[in-house]
Amino acid sequence: MTVKNWMYAVLEAVQGEMRADPAMTWIFELTPPVASNPGMPVINLETEFGRKRVVNTGIDENWMASAVIGAGLAGSRSATYIPYQGAGMPFQVIQNHAGKLRHMTGGKASLPVVFVMEMTGQTPGFAGQHSDYEIDSTYMHIPGVRTVIPSTPYDAKGMMVAALRSPDPVVYLYPAGLRMLSEEVPDEQYEVSLDTAAVRMEGSDLTIVGSGGGMPDVLEAARRLTDEGMSVEVIDLRVLKQMDTETLVKSVAKTKRLLAVDQTYYTLGPAAEVVARCAENVQGARFKRLAFPDAPPPASPEMFNWMRPDADRIVAAARAAV
Amino acid sequence: MTQLEPQGQRPDGLSRRGFLQISALAGTAVGLAGHAAYAEGQIGYWAMDLPDEKLRGMLRTILRIRWHERTMADKMLTDPAYRAYNHFYAGQEAVATGVCAALRNDGPFEQIDLVYSTHRPSGHALAKGVDMKLMQAEMDFRATGLNGGYAAEMHIADPSVGFMGADGMIGPGHVIATGSAFAFRARGSDQVSVVFGGDGTYATPHFHSALNNARMLDLPFIYVLENNLYHQYAHYSYSCPHTDIADAARAYGIPSRVVDGQDVFQVYNAAKEAVERARSGGGPTFIEAKTYRYYNHWGAPGAEAGKLGAFGYDPLAITSIRPERELRSWMQRDPVDIARATLIDWGVLDAAAADALEEEVKAEVAEAFAWAAEQPLCKPEDGLRHVFAEGEVLPRHIA
Repeated sequence: MTVKNWMYAVLEAVQGEMRADPAMTWIFELTPPVASNPGMPVINLETEFGRKRVVNTGIDENWMASAVIGAGLAGSRSATYIPYQGAGMPFQVIQNHAGKLRHMTGGKASLPVVFVMEMTGQTPGFAGQHSDYEIDSTYMHIPGVRTVIPSTPYDAKGMMVAALRSPDPVVYLYPAGLRMLSEEVPDEQYEVSLDTAAVRMEGSDLTIVGSGGGMPDVLEAARRLTDEGMSVEVIDLRVLKQMDTETLVKSVAKTKRLLAVDQTYYTLGPAAEVVARCAENVQGARFKRLAFPDAPPPASPEMFNWMRPDADRIVAAARAAV
Repeated sequence: MTQLEPQGQRPDGLSRRGFLQISALAGTAVGLAGHAAYAEGQIGYWAMDLPDEKLRGMLRTILRIRWHERTMADKMLTDPAYRAYNHFYAGQEAVATGVCAALRNDGPFEQIDLVYSTHRPSGHALAKGVDMKLMQAEMDFRATGLNGGYAAEMHIADPSVGFMGADGMIGPGHVIATGSAFAFRARGSDQVSVVFGGDGTYATPHFHSALNNARMLDLPFIYVLENNLYHQYAHYSYSCPHTDIADAARAYGIPSRVVDGQDVFQVYNAAKEAVERARSGGGPTFIEAKTYRYYNHWGAPGAEAGKLGAFGYDPLAITSIRPERELRSWMQRDPVDIARATLIDWGVLDAAAADALEEEVKAEVAEAFAWAAEQPLCKPEDGLRHVFAEGEVLPRHIA
């Protein structure tokens, strides 16, 4: 057990799987699969496994995603790391091929592949195309693709191991804003389930649900509300598809109040799905959603920071709800 | 490679008239067509024939871009309160300047030529005629900036001068630019649509889609590929098998030129030829300008205040560091020096006049930065505007 940063924890998972499986491949652009951590050896997948298995491509995310699908169909586990600038480019092959092939072939096609999709959305100043936080909604909508979004280094490693071992295609959302987080992460390989949400705090007055890059603000708000005397239950979704309805419903049945928080746009975000599932299954509860408005992120930090559902906004919404 | 070799064959796509002019100039007989006497960029005398005022204007544009870049770098390196950023264009000034000098930049929107830019847009913007003060205020996130603080560097746009905008993505802009060319052809306009792209665009599906469709429809479209050797942090040999990316465009049946991107007059000549071809219904042209950027991919890591270029370590490069000697060798063929020396050689101005021009430009740049810094910041609630033509969206982040 060592304190490890996010990127190190993720690449440790990949390194472990690639050492165990000499057929496994990794495709990247821009972001070399290199990580360092105090007291630990540098991980460099490219030098360790060579350029036949670890490929630095041109700017062609469509090829990156398509190639791992083809590698998976040919029987090789394969993963690609798509930087946030290009996370929408490979949508077509993930939506129309990766998500449908098993079903369309009557179960004959198998895709043991992982699409690591970097997300931003916490960085003011970069404007529309580089400050957006929207692909959680986009990818969670696709049937046949498991879509997960870890929010801690421990989960980031365990869910990467589970994703790489899964026979299903996994969209592994990677919130770039969490890259600087560090915590105790086991050195050995372990799995974190691709099916369950995590209850991060237990309470009885209000359930707050968040995910991915939004979790630091949710947890900060929950700490402040706890200090004020509110009993808050915090759920980290972790899995967007298939969403863990049971954990959500159990919590809201207890608290009877739900505040669902998204960093993504309001319309059809994970929070909308959370509210819908709880409304279907819990009688007499009250619901509230916070999300980024249905507007592209503007460049100006004054505008952008105001539009984010940050800890202050969450605290205010929680007070209004209880 | 900084010096271009003469081509061993007749350059593609040269009109017969143009070819005869060159042959006459070069003193060659038509029968020796297989041995062009000129490097590709020196395809005509057009730049030499321009009025002095136009030539001085080209040097001024190069200097305006260069001093905007240097001032930006110094601000980023010395003023912790300065928030603007840049994908630096320094080293490539001759490309934007030479191309835009061959375009129609003034007049009604329905008549001017359109330019689609990249994530490295400041040079293209200034060369096309975007106001420097407004651009700088936009880069500094000001409410009175060119785009009201919504754009910053990566999305600056000013359709009124035909600058259709920067683009943070690699690829889509090229295909979109062919759409503008398609509209020009459909409505019988003689306008031209130009896209700037880098060597990284070759790998994108969009590169190939743009070229194939432009050729199939004979669109008035010019693809200016600025080959500065690196896309982000990777050398272009990682993503393209050609030494000259123009070879790929030739395979699509598009007349293509490789020019010295450090020499504004070579660039102008190639652009002039391309614009004439497009206006007269001759279809698309591809121009590959060999050039180099003096800074790293993004921001000013490795740079020092008061000094041109970034020689130090860029942590974002991680494992792909470009050689310092490469940068130093390219700086020996600086676009500012080449333009200035050429104009002095042609007798357009003398050294004293060139110095005075540069001082004038430096003062203008300093004034633009000072003006921008005094502009008001944005109103937070305005983030809900401009989503649709009318009205505002709802503030979903507030309970």
